[in-house]
Order: sequence, then C-alpha cells, then structure tokens
Amino acid sequence: MKDPARPDTLEFVVGSEKKLRDLLNEQEVLPLLKGAVRAGASGVMISDAADAVMWEHGTSVNSPLYAVQPFSLEGETIGKITVSGSDGNENYLKGLLCLLTDVVQTMLHNNLKRMLTTEMHTRVVNQSYEELLKSNSLLAVSEAKYRELAENLEKKVQERTDELKQAHARLLQQEKIASIGQLAAGVAHEINNPLGFIASNINTLQKYIGKYREMTEYYQSEISRIPQTARMQTAAEQKWKELKLDLISADIDDLIRQSLQGAERVKKIVSDLKGFSHIDEGQEAVIDINEEIDRTLNVLTHEIPRDAEIIRDYHPLPGFVCNPALICQAFLNIILNALQARREGLRFVISTDMRDNAIIVRFSDNGPGIPELIRSRIFDPFYTTKDVGKGTGMGLTVTYESITAYHGTIEVESEPGTGATFTVRLPLREN
Amino acid sequence: MIEYDEIDRRMVLKLVYYGPALSGKTTNLLVLHDLLEREGRGDLMVLDTKDDRTIFFDLLPFFISAPSGLKIKVKVYTVPGQVNHDATRKAVLQRADGVAFIADSRIAERENNVESFSNLEKNLEIVGLDIEKLPLVIQFNKRDLPGIIPEEDIRSVWSPTGIPVFMASALEKRGVIETFGRLAEMTFDSIDRRYGLQENHGLDKAAFLEKLSLSAQRA
Ligand SMILES: Nc1nc2c(ncn2[C@@H]2O[C@H](COP(=O)(O)OP(=O)(O)OP(=O)(O)O)[C@@H](O)[C@H]2O)c(=O)[nH]1
Ligand SMILES: [Mg+2]
Repeated sequence: MKDPARPDTLEFVVGSEKKLRDLLNEQEVLPLLKGAVRAGASGVMISDAADAVMWEHGTSVNSPLYAVQPFSLEGETIGKITVSGSDGNENYLKGLLCLLTDVVQTMLHNNLKRMLTTEMHTRVVNQSYEELLKSNSLLAVSEAKYRELAENLEKKVQERTDELKQAHARLLQQEKIASIGQLAAGVAHEINNPLGFIASNINTLQKYIGKYREMTEYYQSEISRIPQTARMQTAAEQKWKELKLDLISADIDDLIRQSLQGAERVKKIVSDLKGFSHIDEGQEAVIDINEEIDRTLNVLTHEIPRDAEIIRDYHPLPGFVCNPALICQAFLNIILNALQARREGLRFVISTDMRDNAIIVRFSDNGPGIPELIRSRIFDPFYTTKDVGKGTGMGLTVTYESITAYHGTIEVESEPGTGATFTVRLPLREN
Repeated sequence: MIEYDEIDRRMVLKLVYYGPALSGKTTNLLVLHDLLEREGRGDLMVLDTKDDRTIFFDLLPFFISAPSGLKIKVKVYTVPGQVNHDATRKAVLQRADGVAFIADSRIAERENNVESFSNLEKNLEIVGLDIEKLPLVIQFNKRDLPGIIPEEDIRSVWSPTGIPVFMASALEKRGVIETFGRLAEMTFDSIDRRYGLQENHGLDKAAFLEKLSLSAQRA
C-alpha cells in the first residue's frame, strides 16, 4: 500500500496500519479459546472484519445458542468473537463473551503499544545511529581537512611564496642573461676591432719610440766627439734635464706595458663575454669529467699558490656529453675563485661522484667563505667581490650558464670563516 | 498522509501536536480523549514516558467511514518536546497532514516557543513538507497561569501570518476542542481538494467534523 504522492517508499512510517494478524498470535489466542471451552462454551471463534475465521476451538455445529461481540482497534471494528453453547445458559455465555472480548481488546492494546514502542525505538535508534555515523564521518573528514590545512597553511604559503620568488628570480635571471647575451655579443664585436688596432698601434708606437731613442742617443754620442760643441752640449744637457727626459723615457716603458696589459684585459673580458653569449655553440664530445678537471688544474699551475694543498677525491664517472670548452670554462672559473680565495694555507678539495644518475662535483676551499648576503648574487653577471678592475665579474656567471645549459645545478654552501663549497650536479642525459 | 489505498478504500491521515517541552501537548490529547467520547474514537495510546515527559509519542486515533465506503483513520500524535528527541520528532512529523503547534503562554517560555517553532520549520523541510501549504494552527496554552504574554501581543504577532491562533488552558479544558476543530477543518479542506472527499466519497466537511464529534461540541 503506497501513498500515490510518494511512491516506492519502503521506509517505515510512524502510523502505518497494523493488521489483526500482526497484533494477535496463535500462542496467545488459542489458550484463551481453550479456556473458554473448558469454562462451558461448546465452541469459540475469532473472525476478522470480512468474517473470515482466524482462530477457533471446540465446535459450533449444531449449537442452538450463540452470541457475537465485535472488537475494535483504533476506533475501527476489526473483528468479532462468536461463542456458542447449549440452551439454558445464555447469560453465562454472554458473560463469558464479554470477558473474552475484554481480554482480546486488552491484548490488542498492549500488543499495539509494544509494537509501536519497539518500532519507534528501533527507528529512532537506527536513525540516530545513521545520523551519528554520517555526521561523524563528515566531521572526521572536515576535521582532518581543517587540521591539515591549519598545520600546513603556513608551510604551504611559504612554499608558494618561495616558488613564486624563485620563478621570478629565474625569470629575471633569464631576461638578464638574454639581454646581456645580446649586449655582450654586440659589445664584443664593437670592442674587438678597435681593441685590435689599439694593441697593435701601441706595439708599433713602442717600436717607433725605440727609434726616436736610438736617434737621440746617436746625436748625444756624435755631438760629444766634436770639441767645438762644448757649449751646445751643456745647453742640450740643460734642456734634457729641464724636460725630465730621463724620467720620461723610463716611464714610457711602464706606460706602454700597462697599456698593453690593459688591452689584454679588455680582450679577456670580451672573450668571456663571447663565451658567455655563445654558450650553445661549439662541438659536443664525450668527456671524462675527472680528466677535464685535471687538465684545468694543469692550465692553472702558475695560479696555484706554492703551499696550497689540492686534494682530489675522484670516483670513476661515466662519459659526459658536452661542449668540453664550456664545461672546462665552468670548472676553471670555480677553481680560480677558490685559488683567489686564500693565498696562504689554501686547502682545496675536489671530489667527484655519481648519485641518482647525475655527476656530482664538489669544490671545497677553506677560504673566508661567502657571506649569506652575497651568496645569492655570486652567479649574477658583473657581480664581483674583487677590487674594481681586478675581476671581470663574469666568471661564475659563465659557470652558472654552462652548467644550466646542461640541465645541471650549481649550489653554494658557505659558513663564513670556514670556506665555501660549490656543488655542481650534472644529470646524465636520457639514452 | 500515512496511507491511501484505493482498492482497500482506506485513507490514513496524520495530525501532529508539536511544540516545546511541557507546553501541554499530551494534556491536549488527554482532554480530547475525554471530551470526544464516542464510537470511532480509539483508545489513547500513551507510549513510554519518563517523569511524565513524552519520549516517543502519544496517539489518539479516530475512525470515520464515508458514505462511499471509504474508511478514514485520523491519527493524532504528539511529539516529544524535549530538544534531544529530535529524531523522534522528525519520524512522527513525516507525512503529516496537519500540525497544531502548542506554545506555552508564559513570558519565560518565549525563547523555547521560538526555538521549537524554528525546529518545526527545519524538520518540515527535512521531511519534505511545505509549511506554506500544510494546515497549521497555533495554540497558546496555559492561559490560566500568571506571567503570560498578553493576548493582544500574540494576536498582533501572528495575525499577519494568517495562521489561526487559539488561546487555551488544557488543564481547564478550554480551547482544546477549538484548536483541534480548526485543524480538522483545514485538514479536511486540504484533503478534499486533492481527493474529492465530498465529490467522490459523499463526505462533506460538516459530516467529517460531526464524525469526529466536533460540531456538537463547538456549537
Ligand atoms: N497550569 C497549566 N498547566 C498545564 C496546562 N497544560 C498542561 N499543563 C501542565 O504542564 C505539564 C506538562 O504537560 P504535558 O502535556 O505533559 O506537556 P508536553 O507538551 O506533552 O511535554 P513533553 O511531552 O515533554 O513534550 C503538566 O504538568 C501539565 O499538567 C495548562 O493549560 N495550564
Ligand atoms: Mg508529552
């Protein structure tokens, strides 16, 4: 039986109708009927609202006398009790019937009450249990979520901030590198030409000056041989002194040497710039990093302080595919940096190893270390801690660019006062 | 509606007495039971109580048969007013055809009335009943007590809503029949609209109320 407005609801509804058979059962009813027969009735029968017999005892057949009484549930007549017996005890039979009806009526009431109570109890318990389970699991989920959120919020924000910072820094760095690259390529080209003739002109000038000197010396020696020129000799010496030509000629050599040195340094800057801006040019080859480091150290022999202790802690490495000049340049700059970090008592450890399919090269010195403030800037182009004019400020930038060109990383750890460690990680390329 | 069986020609309606704890819902039913002594009125079923507080519900059933032969059972329930029995309230409220909200007139009980009414609104929504369409009457009970909200105040609050409001003292058997009578009338109207009690079953409102023994009492 369904409510047409709400079809297919199987769920128990408070108030659903109970049937006579739900409320009375044989174990309860039969003893009652048997008792009535023992008490004198010849037959007793309980029938439902449609007059169908539900329970009976004894026999009503041929009974000349009978009495009927209905009983009801919730105001509705749902059945009746029929008692039959022999003539003469009509009042007794009626009394028996009244008693029976009262008992059945009470049974119905009590059973209905018990049923409603247990149904309700079960329902409330089930519903409460289900609600409890549901709200509990919801609570557990949201609680876990909030707890995680609360615990990780700060960390997450920090992570995101760091990521953004790094991304921004990388972007800036890339832009910087790109524009510097273009600039460098242009500058290198523009500078190289004049630099070429400046250097060669200074060399030529040096030769020319040598010739003037020779001529002057010739005049001096020739004049001193002619006796009549004594007065002129004195005047010339006078003039020589007046013009401080002794000092000047000594200075000329210095001037020229310094000019040539300067031009040489400009040339070096320009070639660094070129190396930096043409990092992806050149031939690739398979190299052994250990060998390359050794070769680089050899090239730098004259730069290594005599009392320096160089410790090589090499492990066998697989071949690395790269432009050897670039990687050598990268290592050279790191090594130079270390060599210049400390002139006396330098202890320089170079170790190589394989880890997680990458070549790890560590360079540790016992120099003054790198203050935290500038640690993040040492790979910036043109950043130098050396006195102005001494470093080009390109060294570590070139290193950085070379390493990253091979998808590697370079990190610096430094405890000021105890030295610095550069760790280069070069991942082996797939296949 | 608890049940409607066209083949069996049986309709079971549910009316619910709702309201805060101790407002007199059970007392209302006791009074109805006493006053509506007639054939067709079933026994009052007072399910388990604890210290006279309803735990499950009380039930007063009525049985009516329409001229068409349609059997109509009207089951009047009370819910437990105590806050912690919300699950039971929801269960009882399910499929209600009409609600009588029994409020406690005492000023001190104002908060509880408000809270219980919003609980009714919430639970009606949960069981899928529209408070705008559901027959609803309000009874302010315990008018015999001192410290009660004045009738004018109550009327001025509730008259704009159009919900019928009754002043009552269940203890003195005043206002109880009126409350039930109006709820029965409104319920008849709403069922009649949907099921044509008059048209299809020959049962008009007067007859319906008379079968509940209300017309005589109200006259
Ligand atoms: N003075 C006075 N007392 C009343 C009135 N109606 C009910 N009471 C009393 O208030 C108390 C609570 O009445 P109930 O009918 O049990 O209240 P209820 O609403 O069924 O309470 P719950 O079952 O807990 O929800 C009883 O002591 C009643 O005698 C009234 O009109 N006046
Ligand atoms: Mg109660």
